[in-house]
Amino acid sequence: MKFLDQPPRFLFFTGKGGVGKTSIACATAIRLAESGRRVLLVSTDPASNVGQVFGLEIGNRIVDMAAVPGLAALEIDPMAAAQVYRDRIVGPVRGVLPEAVVRGIEEQLSGACTTEIAAFDEFTALLTDSALVAGFEHIVFDTAPTGHTIRLLQLPGAWSGFLDAGKGDASCLGPLAGLEKQRSQYKAAVEALADPARTRLILVARAQAATLREVARTHEELAAIGLRQQHLVINGVMPAEGGSTDALAQAIIRREQAALANIPSTLQALPRDEVGLKPFNLVGLPALRRLLGADDADDMDNSALTGQATAADFLALLAAPNLAALVDEIATDGHGLIMLMGKGGVGKTTIAAAVAVELARRGLAVHLTTSDPAAHLAETLAGNLPQLSVSRIDPQVETERYRQQVLKSKGAQLDAHGRALLEEDLRSPCTEEIAVFQAFSRIIREAHQKFVVMDTAPTGHTLLLLDATGAYHREVARQMSATHMHYTTPMMQLQDAKQTKVLIATLAETTPVLEAANLQSDLRRAGIEPWAWVINSSVAAVESSSPLLRQRAVNELAQIDAVANQHAARYAVVPLLEEEPVGVERLQALARGSLDLAKG
Amino acid sequence: MANIQVYDPALCCSTGVCGVDVDQQLVTFAADVDWAKQQGAQIERFNLAQQPLAFAESAVVRGFLERSGAESLPLILVDGEVALAGRYPKRSELARWAGIAEVPVAADAKPAKSCCGGSRCC
Repeated sequence: MKFLDQPPRFLFFTGKGGVGKTSIACATAIRLAESGRRVLLVSTDPASNVGQVFGLEIGNRIVDMAAVPGLAALEIDPMAAAQVYRDRIVGPVRGVLPEAVVRGIEEQLSGACTTEIAAFDEFTALLTDSALVAGFEHIVFDTAPTGHTIRLLQLPGAWSGFLDAGKGDASCLGPLAGLEKQRSQYKAAVEALADPARTRLILVARAQAATLREVARTHEELAAIGLRQQHLVINGVMPAEGGSTDALAQAIIRREQAALANIPSTLQALPRDEVGLKPFNLVGLPALRRLLGADDADDMDNSALTGQATAADFLALLAAPNLAALVDEIATDGHGLIMLMGKGGVGKTTIAAAVAVELARRGLAVHLTTSDPAAHLAETLAGNLPQLSVSRIDPQVETERYRQQVLKSKGAQLDAHGRALLEEDLRSPCTEEIAVFQAFSRIIREAHQKFVVMDTAPTGHTLLLLDATGAYHREVARQMSATHMHYTTPMMQLQDAKQTKVLIATLAETTPVLEAANLQSDLRRAGIEPWAWVINSSVAAVESSSPLLRQRAVNELAQIDAVANQHAARYAVVPLLEEEPVGVERLQALARGSLDLAKG
Repeated sequence: MANIQVYDPALCCSTGVCGVDVDQQLVTFAADVDWAKQQGAQIERFNLAQQPLAFAESAVVRGFLERSGAESLPLILVDGEVALAGRYPKRSELARWAGIAEVPVAADAKPAKSCCGGSRCC
């Protein structure tokens, strides 16, 4: 493994949820410790199984791992860190200011950026050679700050006066304002990150076109701010199983190899390793020791299978509701807005297209609108069904337009410092979300006459903020002009179950299900109750003779059960298809979950 | 010289960059505040989302929030007494409270440095 050659002091693993970065980080830490180094493993994964792996409660303190001499671990809970941060600001006024006011303040501080910055705050001491970590030769992090966070911390203007004086004019530092550490310490942390002699960044991905595109974006963003020492690890690559002729396994191999052959050009130059898909669950010390080892024949042995699923479990699953059954219920409304929500890479666009095709097949007028950067899916559908119209919104174009519009109206009045801060603000993830949502909102109005199916949506947090701003604008407009105009905020439409159905898309894997559950509670905070969950790309919903895929299917069962019985009001399971679900026929196969069609 | 205190609503940032629309009033007001300060005015701004303690510590502001709610902000106090609520003051109002003679805006007037870029709404 190239990423393990001559490792520097700090190793950061980054990648989207579910690619296996925590497993690889754990395996790396074990490997380094067993080669005689003293290693600290730092996990920020909310679904962290680090404690479980070592049979210890870890928590927010450094704990020696008795099972692996030389290894210690520390778990940082980013949500808890954000809560501590919020409490620091809100605590003193709770019970003093009206409750509604306090809630409003908390909402301002409840977004992903606050969480991320609070977590980075916790990292800082580990990066700046405090006595805390003096005894460790390597520190392995199972996550890395985003480019947005680092840029924010790099902006010298962001610090002027604020941290030193403890207060500023109505400043807009947002989450930064409550950070307690010294400016010099953040500067040192950012420098450590950008120093190739000290830090190596390992991008973890799967052999899927969409995932690789996203990783390429992360790579470019981090390289642009000086984090050039990067490696790429492709995890979970389907190996050629000796003699297996399973059609699904063969199709997955073909698809993955094609994705790797067409890897984005910016990733080609990076040192690359591939880690094969394992038949065993990546929990426990023996499993993690084997993760980065050479694939040996034993791995393929059926005796390695760990699941206890019975044939009855799978039969029950085959009777699980399919997407078409959900669409039956949606269709009875006659019109409305259907929004797919979920993290990148779970197949929102595919599910949105399948829902649209199913509705159109029932003779209903449907407008499918997508932000899929690949666009081929939308193109193959356009004009194929008389009831179905398709439009595409390019997030980059929309975001750039929005940025320019804001900079033009704002920038004219700002000096260089203010402009730099504003430009950075406009590079935040929520800017894209807002820009795209604005573009979509032009189409949303059609939902009174027909079905509108969208493959993206802003998070509950963003909606609350949009609504707060909307409410404020309403108030200003009322007072300034005394005219009583009728306003509808995006949230009012989304909160109305008669007008809008939110479908949460996920995969039957631990981290994606957890992320989807977080998304759901975020939406509930905004008064939006998700209507259904859709579990995409399920191997458990397909028959396969491949031992590897059978094991993956077993692993999926617990997650499907959690969705069905804990999280979702109603749900559907969508099978993994041999071929990419492009075109009307394959999308229908997806929705119907028919094995015969799925194989065709 | 009078002491002017501005209590802003809890927007994610005072430019509204994070909102559906960038609020020109906030931009203009930031510039006016900067202008007035250059003329020697004493003006402080407090953002409800970031400095709620400043709201809680003033009986006047606290009472205002209890009666009218956060949606009725901004609130402007001059020497501790309510001068304006529900909208931002014009430059002429700032000048009157601060006791400075208003002059035409110079073409090269230095823009506001207070604002908001760095605020995170998410």
